[in-house]
Amino acid sequence: MDKINVDYMLAIEEPFMKVPLEQLKREARQSQKLAERETQLVTSGLADLIKKQSSIPAEEYTCILDGLIDKLKVLKRKLEESKQEETLLIHRSKQRAADLNELNDFTSATQSGFQRWCRTRLERVLIDYMLRNGNVDTAKQIMEKSNLEHFADSSLFALVMSTERELREQHSCRGALHWCAENRSALRKIQSSLEFELRLQEFIEMIRGKKNSEAIAYAKKHLTTWSDTQLPRIQRAMTLLAFSPTTTCPPYKHMFDVARWDGLAHEFRMVIFQLYNLPSQPLLHLLLQTGLSALKTPACQSDDTSEHNRNCPVCQTDTLGKLAQGLPLSHHSNSNLVCRITGEKMNEDNPPMRLPNGYVYSLSSLTDMAHKLGGMVKCPRSGEVYSLKDAKKLFIS
Amino acid sequence: MDSLVRDCEKLSKHQTAAMNKTLGSVEATIRALELALTEPTSLASAHQQSKQTQDAVSEQLKELCTNVAKYGKHVERTFKLDLGVVAESRAFENKRTELGQAIMLHFLRSGDFDLARSFLIEDKSIVAEDSAWERFEAMNALAEQIRTHVLEPALEWALSKRTELEALGLGLEFTLHRLRFLQLVESGASVEALGYAREWFPHSNTSSERLDEITHLMGVFMYARRLGSSPYAGLFGERRWGEGAHEFAAAFCAVQGVAGASPLAVSVAAGARALAVVSKVSSLLRERRVEWSQQDELAVEVPLPDDMRFHSVFACPVSKEQASRDNPPMALPCGHVICKASLDKLARGVRPGATASGRFKCPYCPSMAAVGDAERVHF
Repeated sequence: MDKINVDYMLAIEEPFMKVPLEQLKREARQSQKLAERETQLVTSGLADLIKKQSSIPAEEYTCILDGLIDKLKVLKRKLEESKQEETLLIHRSKQRAADLNELNDFTSATQSGFQRWCRTRLERVLIDYMLRNGNVDTAKQIMEKSNLEHFADSSLFALVMSTERELREQHSCRGALHWCAENRSALRKIQSSLEFELRLQEFIEMIRGKKNSEAIAYAKKHLTTWSDTQLPRIQRAMTLLAFSPTTTCPPYKHMFDVARWDGLAHEFRMVIFQLYNLPSQPLLHLLLQTGLSALKTPACQSDDTSEHNRNCPVCQTDTLGKLAQGLPLSHHSNSNLVCRITGEKMNEDNPPMRLPNGYVYSLSSLTDMAHKLGGMVKCPRSGEVYSLKDAKKLFIS
Repeated sequence: MDSLVRDCEKLSKHQTAAMNKTLGSVEATIRALELALTEPTSLASAHQQSKQTQDAVSEQLKELCTNVAKYGKHVERTFKLDLGVVAESRAFENKRTELGQAIMLHFLRSGDFDLARSFLIEDKSIVAEDSAWERFEAMNALAEQIRTHVLEPALEWALSKRTELEALGLGLEFTLHRLRFLQLVESGASVEALGYAREWFPHSNTSSERLDEITHLMGVFMYARRLGSSPYAGLFGERRWGEGAHEFAAAFCAVQGVAGASPLAVSVAAGARALAVVSKVSSLLRERRVEWSQQDELAVEVPLPDDMRFHSVFACPVSKEQASRDNPPMALPCGHVICKASLDKLARGVRPGATASGRFKCPYCPSMAAVGDAERVHF
């Protein structure tokens, strides 16, 4: 059982590898598009200039050419930034792959190298948790303490936090709409209506601000593009023009509700996570939920605290025990016996021994005790004292 | 995984080359245009250069995208597990404070007090109990001293907790004496080492069980001047301090009645073994419209190492059901254990091998038993 199931351990690291990958894809695609567009503009600009070269004054010639040179200089700067970002992302991917690769070198879970690896995994899981919750300083401290900058997706979460704050607190869609524009094709692929929701919100705010004609123009420009999929909602939105923000009429009251902003912030988070292959909950949640479930036994929930084990996470009644409430119990189709005295596993090598009172302990613990108590053993649960000879070996198949 | 690392290395080389070429072409065009500023006659060749750049840039960056996509396919092939199904669980809704509290305790027991402070500032719903803070501050301070080869404070603590350590059957005191003894031997203070051994080895709380070890240790004097090449060299590795600190921390936790290893770390390690297993069955459960965390019991057994087993679980070898209060484990006179329900079934003659007298054959050996012979066991 001390073997490490590398496949299982790797399987859960999908987001760890995919976030920098998705960022890299996006960066490469954006710089490609930008470079193609700008170089094409410059080439066609030059073709135009050649045509009218003889007919325009020298200043105009210089001015046009300067404009084209500036365009190329801006492009050069942007490509240099892209290059840097891509290099960073590839390096990050490599470091992560190398970290996961270490798993293949461990032969046993008791190896100190594996335990160190697990500590690092816990740290990066905690960093992810802290970043998602906006505890940026704590996250940063863990990164600095253990040199884990390459294992954290700080910039992505910083973007999520700032955009969410803008939606929730400033009631502004600017950042979110800008992000939608940058990722339009990816959003279309996952059939996200986030952009429509944002546009709808801006429209609602115009009506709230009594700028009806502006709202109609806005709807013409931005809402009609969604008529294929969102026509009934666009129609309802237009009806909003007839209502005041204080209306009590249900669907319209709901549209005017400022809580819609919180909903938008949440939706933004879910969509960006989906695009980057991040699960909707932090990995820490998923690991704790399944881990606590796998550890949970009926004894952990017993009112009789003597059934609890101080080392068992589920038995930590005021912290993890509370988190484990309501989670499923572990499933066992084979017995697994643990000696109450030593915590050791009882099996053929260290068989379970039944005292006359019915309580069972491992042979090694009883032998140790008999050694100290002159051949006698004392049941720690009942306090009864027996001779070691009275203990009877049990067979568990 | 190894091949992913190599993929990244290849991709990195290609990316550098592609971006350098791209930037080179753009620079060449800038130079050509700048020349055309002063020599308008070269405008046509600048246009030519710009056209070339346009093609080169497009080609280079397209190829880079293709290579990134290729690497991406490889990543996607490697990771096929969908965590989304497990993430549908609502088990931790409104439990942020409890989780924060568990993380807080983890920071404290790991000695990360700066992290604990920062976390307290950033999440106002978390509290750090003074008792926990002081306990782990004391523990980490003493353990850190052991790591830096200072043993007295830890020894003082061990002596003050002699009865408790004794009751728990922990040999920390002896471990610390041994470390001190070896430290004296190593520093060349043989006389002091001998005095120390005389003073403490016979009187340490677990010394009666350690006679062999003491005998072995005393032999070290034969090699006092050449420890490094002696059979005792292994005792003097730097590792002993870390191991000593570790043993101290475990004993400290045991005496204080708190978990010996960080419960958060243990749960996450268990989760890393469970998550893939659970998410596989969760997809199947979802087809039956069951959310995995809503079940009473997981649908599959999660293989855990022995050090993550904290409670005895008895599954009846006959019925495969887990024992419970209503269906307790019973030992037959031959020592084989089955559940009460299975026992009753056997006795009723449901299974072959039963006789009219109510006696039946043990399912696992030839001996015969009657219901009345079976005895309840408590694991």
